[in-house]
Formats: sequence, structure tokens, C-alpha cells
Amino acid sequence: MSRARMERGSDVDGHDPAAWREGFQVGLPTLFGLGAWGIVVGVAMVKSGLTVLQASAMTLIVYSGSAQLASLPLIATGAPIGVIFATAFVVNLRFVIFSALLAPHFSQLPLLQRFYLGHISGDLTTALFLQRYPRTAPERGKLSFLKGLLYPSWVAWQVGTFIGIFLGSAVPTEWQLGFAGMLAILCILVPLVMNSAALCGVLVAAAVSVLAHGLPYKLGLLVAVLVGMVTAIAIEETQDRRKVRHG
Amino acid sequence: MADWEIWTVIVVLGVATACCRSALWMVGHRVTIPRRVQEMLRYAPACALAAIVAPDFLLGPQGEIELAVTNPKLLAGILALAYYLWRRNMLQTIVIGMLVFTALRVFDVFHGVG
Repeated sequence: MSRARMERGSDVDGHDPAAWREGFQVGLPTLFGLGAWGIVVGVAMVKSGLTVLQASAMTLIVYSGSAQLASLPLIATGAPIGVIFATAFVVNLRFVIFSALLAPHFSQLPLLQRFYLGHISGDLTTALFLQRYPRTAPERGKLSFLKGLLYPSWVAWQVGTFIGIFLGSAVPTEWQLGFAGMLAILCILVPLVMNSAALCGVLVAAAVSVLAHGLPYKLGLLVAVLVGMVTAIAIEETQDRRKVRHG
Repeated sequence: MADWEIWTVIVVLGVATACCRSALWMVGHRVTIPRRVQEMLRYAPACALAAIVAPDFLLGPQGEIELAVTNPKLLAGILALAYYLWRRNMLQTIVIGMLVFTALRVFDVFHGVG
């Protein structure tokens, strides 16, 4: 069984240049935006006090713009490492859903390959892949298409980030370019607010984090996330119940 | 933060990201996430990001709440948010937000407040 599966796998997963190019072309329009977003994160990293070496290492190891930005104010204020981990984890939770959608397409691949494909698949690439291949059955060209999406995105992001790192280290600190990172978070926050329950959760989380700002170890942040999330779910449930009653 | 602490943070962030992105790829390709859990996961990132930016926009340098429009970060943030809702362009939004914030800061429009 496993031998038959391996043979089928190597056949299905062989390099398919046409599919790779197709993936590249589908992803091409997003590459500029990714690069620009990388510049912002690169600038924000060095402006919040990381050295060029630290910022470079961070972007190569982490490869998650929102988690990197989220950690910067915490690093700047010396928050405990556990809190920084928890925050980055929560910010990245959406990837758990994405990977649950994407992973079944590639369950036949070797473990290491599954690890790095998972690690470099982001929001946009996942959406574009699922548009092209809605069904999970193995199919020739699928893997090459995914790589055609993922690899250029990774390169665009890293190039943008390194431009940002060197741009940022050339600009005086009093320009407060780190604020650009906050504005960027605002932009990624907007599409995540997809319904009124999410909006309430976000407003409550914002209010709690401001009021609980004085709590030690930046715990106000985690309290805010928890209270915000519970608010959103409570409101969603109330709406569902009302729909059931009136539907 | 000391140098070694920042390096630890970088590794820890890498682990946090890998856990979210790769874990299901490696172990759980037969797992389906229950609907309730999915719903909770959907709201978590938005709440976390809001909780991160809110203090930066709303608190003054001494940690006091500054809800007035004389707070340059709040004003720049509101204008940037309005622009993003209108045009949905991240780069333009950031440029405009930075221009407003920088103008308020350089010309010291709200003298003595920011």
C-alpha cells in the first residue's frame, strides 16, 4: 500500500513547468503589494530598535508580517517572552484554519516538505490556490502550481523587507517611522472585521487593552484578546438564536 | 531588552508561527476542526491586532488616555482608517497616515500636547 502510494505520489508530484508558470502568473499581481508590505515591516523592525542583523534574522525565521509587527511594541517595552509568544500565536491563529484547508491536498508528501510548504504559505497564496484547486484529490501539477505561488511570494516579501531594513536604518529616529507599522496593522485588521460580532469584539478588545494597559507583564493585552473574543462569540450566538426564532 | 532576549524572542516567534502554519500539515491532515472552534479562531487575530494598536493610538507619552483629536497619532490613525475603508490600498494609506502624523509632529500643531 505504502509503496503504491509513493509511486503514485512521485508521479503526481513531479515538476510540471506549465503548472509552475500558471501559479506564478496567478500570484504575480500580489507580489508588488507583498514587497511593499515587506518594506513597511522592515522599516518598523529597525525603527523599534532591532539591529540590522536581528531584523534580518527575524524576517527569515518568522516570515509572518503581522506576528512580526505585533511583537515590536512588546519588545520595545520589554514584555515577558511568554506574553510575546502568546500574542504572536493568537495573531497567527488564522493560519490554523488556512492550513486545515490546504494540508489535505498534500498529505502524501514527505514530512519535511510538508513542514516548509506549511511554513511559507500565507493568506493570499492559500486563497489563490483554493480558487484554482477546490478539490483535495491528488492531481498532476498541483504541487508545482503551489510552488509557483509560494516561492515568488517568499522572494518578494524578503526583498521588500531587506529594502525596508536598510531604508529604515538610514532614516533618523525622530521621524518615528515605526508608526507606519501601526498603520499597517490597522489595514490588515479591517478585512478581519467581517461581521458585526467581530466589530464588537474588536472594539471591546481595544477598550480593554487601553484600560488594562497598566497591568504588569503586558497581561492587559492578553486579557483584552480574551474578553474581545468572548464578546464576539456571545454576540454571534445571540444573533444565531434570534435568526432561529424568526426564521 | 538585552541582546540575548531579543534573539530568544526571534526564535520563539518562529516557533509560534510554525505551530500555527505547519502543525496541521505535519500531523493532522485527517483532522477537521469543529465549527465552534473555527468560529473562535476566526475572531482571535482581529481582537489581538486591535489590542496591540489601541494603546499606541489612544495613550499619551505618560500612559494617560488621550481621546481628543489633539492627539496626533489618534488623528492620523482615524484619517488613515477612513482612507483605507474608502480606497482599500494599504500602501497609500500608510503614506497618507505618516504624512498627516509627520506634519502634526513637525509643525507642532497641537503645541504642548503631543
